[in-house]
Amino acid sequence: MEENRVLAEDQDSVVPDTDQTSTTEKYLLFLSDGLLFGASASYIVEIITNHPITTLPLVPSYIHGIINLRGQLIPIVDIRQLLGQSPGSCDCIVILNINDTMVGILVDTVQKMIDVPIKSILPSPNQEQQTLVSGMCSLAEGQTMLVFDCAQLLCQS
Amino acid sequence: MGTGNDSILDAFLYETNGLLEQLDSIVLAAEQEDTFSDDDINTIFRIMHTIKGSSAMMEYDSLMTIAHRAEDLFSIIRDKSISVVPESLRPELFDLLFQTIDFFRQEIECIENDQPLIENIDTLLQKINSFIQQISAPAGAPAPEAAAAPAAAAETAAAAPEAPAPAATPGFPYSLLVFFDEGCGMENLRAFMLTTSIREICGEEDFTFVPAEVEHDPSTAAQIVESGFLLSFRNKADRDNAIHIVTGAGSVRTYQTSDQPEAAAPAPSAPAPAPAAAPAPAPAAAAAPAAAPSAPAPAPAPAAAPAAHAAPAHKPETTTTHHKESLISVNLSKLDQLAAVVGEIVITESMVTASPDLNGLKLDAFTKSARQLRKLTDELQDVSMSLRMVPVSATFQKMNRIVRDMCKKLNKQARLVLVGEDTEVDKTIVDSIGDPIMHIVRNSMDHGIEENVQDRIAAGKDPVGEIILSARHTGSEVIIEVKDDGQGVNYDAVLNKATRQGLAMPGVDYTHKDILNFLLAPGFSTNTEVTEFSGRGVGMDVVKQNVENVGGTVTITSEPGQGMTTTLKIPLTMAIMDGMEVSVGKSIFTIPIHNIRQSFKISADDLVHDASGGELFKCMGNFYPVLRMQELYHIEGGCSEVQDGILIWLEAGETSYCLFVDELLGEQQVVVKPLPSFLNSFNIKRSGIAGCTILGDGNISIILDVSNLYSHAQ
Repeated sequence: MEENRVLAEDQDSVVPDTDQTSTTEKYLLFLSDGLLFGASASYIVEIITNHPITTLPLVPSYIHGIINLRGQLIPIVDIRQLLGQSPGSCDCIVILNINDTMVGILVDTVQKMIDVPIKSILPSPNQEQQTLVSGMCSLAEGQTMLVFDCAQLLCQS
Repeated sequence: MGTGNDSILDAFLYETNGLLEQLDSIVLAAEQEDTFSDDDINTIFRIMHTIKGSSAMMEYDSLMTIAHRAEDLFSIIRDKSISVVPESLRPELFDLLFQTIDFFRQEIECIENDQPLIENIDTLLQKINSFIQQISAPAGAPAPEAAAAPAAAAETAAAAPEAPAPAATPGFPYSLLVFFDEGCGMENLRAFMLTTSIREICGEEDFTFVPAEVEHDPSTAAQIVESGFLLSFRNKADRDNAIHIVTGAGSVRTYQTSDQPEAAAPAPSAPAPAPAAAPAPAPAAAAAPAAAPSAPAPAPAPAAAPAAHAAPAHKPETTTTHHKESLISVNLSKLDQLAAVVGEIVITESMVTASPDLNGLKLDAFTKSARQLRKLTDELQDVSMSLRMVPVSATFQKMNRIVRDMCKKLNKQARLVLVGEDTEVDKTIVDSIGDPIMHIVRNSMDHGIEENVQDRIAAGKDPVGEIILSARHTGSEVIIEVKDDGQGVNYDAVLNKATRQGLAMPGVDYTHKDILNFLLAPGFSTNTEVTEFSGRGVGMDVVKQNVENVGGTVTITSEPGQGMTTTLKIPLTMAIMDGMEVSVGKSIFTIPIHNIRQSFKISADDLVHDASGGELFKCMGNFYPVLRMQELYHIEGGCSEVQDGILIWLEAGETSYCLFVDELLGEQQVVVKPLPSFLNSFNIKRSGIAGCTILGDGNISIILDVSNLYSHAQ
């Protein structure tokens, strides 16, 4: 036991990124108003496009409405508004399951799934508009992914 | 705690709750009569026995111990009839029973909430024990003589299986009487297997059993069924170990232990099984009728007495209770699932039959089949709804207890009259109206019924107050009324209080109706001091909220000096309803049909304007405010000219107004779906949205809450 622990520590300090499988997490990359976001794949249920959205009266403007997804009613959040981005029309919805609450978010386009080493995610500098972004991460192609904090989405209200 | 799995626990809770309710109503009824009928005593005894047995099985020791002692108590009462409890002790007995019921309830609640049980049961146990002593001390006196008396023959017969046992096994004072499950068969072999297991833990010479020929003589099976399998041990430790084996063995229904007290030890020397020679005074004392209260004798050991003969005496009763029932209990979640599927079927059915693909086609056979399908889905829907309907009687019955307790505490006299207990409503609604009704009944007891009986007499009323709790159906609603004949609402006091609380403007004249509505305002409580029952800051506003949560309304009417009536109007079911689809701009809304009184096509001239710019519409001699849906919900598009749209006259509870929409799309049966919980934080319920429904074409329609919509507009 003791030996193993010491060994593990050694590995950590000497070769940081050897064991990829246990220290990476899958992220779904999507664009919103030109920015690249990544949402942890563990929250993602499905991606739908061109679904009719029923608007609700008297709710904050970032609640875009509700949709009927095979008999289930799911509220749709316009994250552009939440993130303080300029309004735009988008018809791609990413359905998230956040602690058994189903919420859809409107995004411009969905790119791909990638594996991100957890260690490479750096905390984001704390700014007013950044409450939905829990971290940042530099990707291979020179892009920067903003980590979308799904759990924080429910706390917005 | 519980060793069983969830389904056993569920069954236990279900059964015990049912028994407690039964118990409660029996004791309440008996208290009215101030005595127990023989049937009551038997039933209570049986209930206690069942609770004891099932809690022992679930290893809820505190429940078991209390139930056991209560069973003991009732076995004494049963054997000697209720006359054993002198009149003076009766109130104590009733209180004791209520305390016991409360204790059970408390424990059951702990179990339900997965909390640890209350282990401190000494006080209650002490009370029961001392009560048993009180009633058995004088009656126990004639025990030795009575045992020999022929009058005791019948009873001693019941105790007979016990009596010879200790006598036949001198030197084995610690006995264990085992009963197997009814109808399990092969009782003798089961008993033999027990003995082999026990032999492994203690020496063969340290225990003995009756009947002895279990291995070879199948006829002993009947004897075991009849009177149990008796094991007797030389040492207490062995007996305790054996209990573990017995509880671990299959098909064991129950077991009883009994110790022969040291003092009684010489007695077993008499080998004869005659009742007179019964060594311990215990069974005899229990068996003794209250016939010969003559010679003084030491009080019997109460513990041994009922325990010893409880089991055999219980036998004939269990067989009678196992009559066939045509009822089954089903998990509510399954019914919810069924309702959800049926709801989907209704939607799908209209999706198919109203499919746009069919436009312009003339399909006779299809139309005919579609009509048939429609009929069947309607029927299916009715049946699935009726499954969820339960009578309100259980909720109503609980109020008996509250009135009784409050009469005692507040020293008032009142009776509760129940009307229409068998009215059936949706299970979820029954669950949610329990607390509101309780609160209203408490209010009536606390504030309604006069403090002083003299006041009632002076007002020409019956000195005993009356609270009438009634339920009845009216089409799509159930109406629950709590009516008391107390002093009624003191309008001045309420207005003063409301003014102090800042709810009412000083100097403004309020109608009586307005003043009554203050009672329903949050944080309002007329009682100047907080009592145990009401006035804890949570008041009628909570009642109002609970009732509104299930789509109902609360109204209060009162006549000073004549009492007060609180009326709850609640929709029968919330899952499926008839709605009118209306459109405003691109949005579609559903208005419950039962809220719609009439619709009008009008011109701008028909509208009257008031000073503040509001629009009014006159119909049937009254002016009603006009709300424009488009303005209310800031909807883009839609009609703004009165003649282009349509005016719907709506009514819900006390509110009545007209709503201006673009178009009526038609009537439809809709399945109500709650809004996603994520949206609840935006308080959209307050703004008049009750939920939503999925239309035949897959679109979502928002269901309006007519009364909330109006209060939102104000």
